[in-house]
Amino acid sequence: MNQIEGSIKVPYFQIDESWKSRTGKGVSVAVIDSGIDTNHPDLCGKVKESVEARLDNKRIIFEPSEAGDSAGHGTACAGIISRIAPDAEFYSIKVLGAGGLGDGQAFLAGLEYAIKNRYQIVNLSLGTTKPQFFAPLHDLLDRAYQAGCIVVAAANNLPQPSFPSVFSSSLISVSKSEEANYFNFGFRYGEVIELTAPGVNIHTAWLGGGYRNLTGNSFACPHIVGIIALLLEANPGLTPFQIKSALYAIAKENQIHETEMEK
Amino acid sequence: MSEKPNDKLEEKLRSIIETIDVANTLTEPITHSIENLLRISASELNSEEASVIVRDGDEGDLKFLAAIGKVAGQLLNLKIPAGKGIAGFVFSSGQTMALNDVGEDDSFYAEVDKQTGYSTQTILATPLRYNSEIIGVLEYVNRIGDESFTPAEMDKAALYAEAISSLVNAYETSKLFRELSDKMLSTDEKIKFEEARRWINNLRETAEHKEMIDLALLVREIASRGEAERKLCIEIFESILRFSKNNAETDFLSF
Repeated sequence: MNQIEGSIKVPYFQIDESWKSRTGKGVSVAVIDSGIDTNHPDLCGKVKESVEARLDNKRIIFEPSEAGDSAGHGTACAGIISRIAPDAEFYSIKVLGAGGLGDGQAFLAGLEYAIKNRYQIVNLSLGTTKPQFFAPLHDLLDRAYQAGCIVVAAANNLPQPSFPSVFSSSLISVSKSEEANYFNFGFRYGEVIELTAPGVNIHTAWLGGGYRNLTGNSFACPHIVGIIALLLEANPGLTPFQIKSALYAIAKENQIHETEMEK
Repeated sequence: MSEKPNDKLEEKLRSIIETIDVANTLTEPITHSIENLLRISASELNSEEASVIVRDGDEGDLKFLAAIGKVAGQLLNLKIPAGKGIAGFVFSSGQTMALNDVGEDDSFYAEVDKQTGYSTQTILATPLRYNSEIIGVLEYVNRIGDESFTPAEMDKAALYAEAISSLVNAYETSKLFRELSDKMLSTDEKIKFEEARRWINNLRETAEHKEMIDLALLVREIASRGEAERKLCIEIFESILRFSKNNAETDFLSF
């Protein structure tokens, strides 16, 4: 263990018995995605607001939406978060599914909307590789960081880097692991994508009240969002920096525990 | 040739037809190459079906460009509305994903299965990107053995997607070429179509046109041999151009 790792170890953030009673109560979570099926049994009554991106005279605006989820992906992400933090408050920001909106343009606007509304955690299981979005996304994420808004983004599965997951300073980026226990997430200090969480064959909510087994980095991201909701419930004042440190400390404990188990 | 529409139109039509035929000659092998790559990758990913899905219009709708498997022919006639199905999501989000039990509900895939008579169980979909732009989706359907696609197979799919993206981009460029020609035809003065069609057929039978196509094939053959051959070919062509600088007829691809 090097000096940096040793100095960050904070026993306070170990997962212990007290976590069992946590449900993410009172924590606001924005899901920027394809919408959320508010009638799904796992999510019914948990979605406080649903808005949808629309082009209005070349500008993207957000309006209340009853469109639900057009693809299933947003519902799947919300389902994963809800399994870990069942009392979290969900805010659905639908940026996918509407025709004519560019892939980076709409989710950039969705992120700005989430920051303006000061949602505590933002689930961003999306990304773009377009260089023109690099600078605006960087600025937005700095604004999120300063506003105390914790943005969690999924890495892509491609050889090219995608934004914003490669910005390691102002957000938390996640890629999938084959781990089944969501508390047993990993932290790869020094890597571009720092966190790993379950993302293979994840059983979660889907359209029409159903469930699917899903694989992808998209489904690793909401596991970390759920964990952060539990952290914030017990420690509401934590900043994005402190949250990342807490995740690092817990992951380090997981690693130590795993090594001991292997002996 | 007695059935000329008129001289100005003839000149324009000749240019367009030559362009279309050269474009077709050059790009026909592209779809074969895409299908070959689909076959190789599908076998490596233990998948029954594979397809390449591309943009259809400006509203985010999609269509099948190439497909292999039992229902490939039927898929090629299908359209995917914006944001629908896994392909629609992957196209708009750029995220690779795999899922099981696809056709269980009444969603998009149930409708596709109804139309094709197929039963979609498992899907792996990854975006096709060219110069950071998402240009389509590479989809593998029904992993043999009914088990989910593995993370290692997702990584392999992403690698194949890189190769297929370049081919899809070449195909799309040629399509733009053809659309431009169509536009030139449609905005031109009133054409007597029957007359024009006969004239086009005659043109295609001429020795000059056949020579043009042979030349295009020759260039493609040389270009596929390697970098040294390509460079030599360019140098030779450039010197011919310099030699016949004042003769506009050699510039057969310009409008």
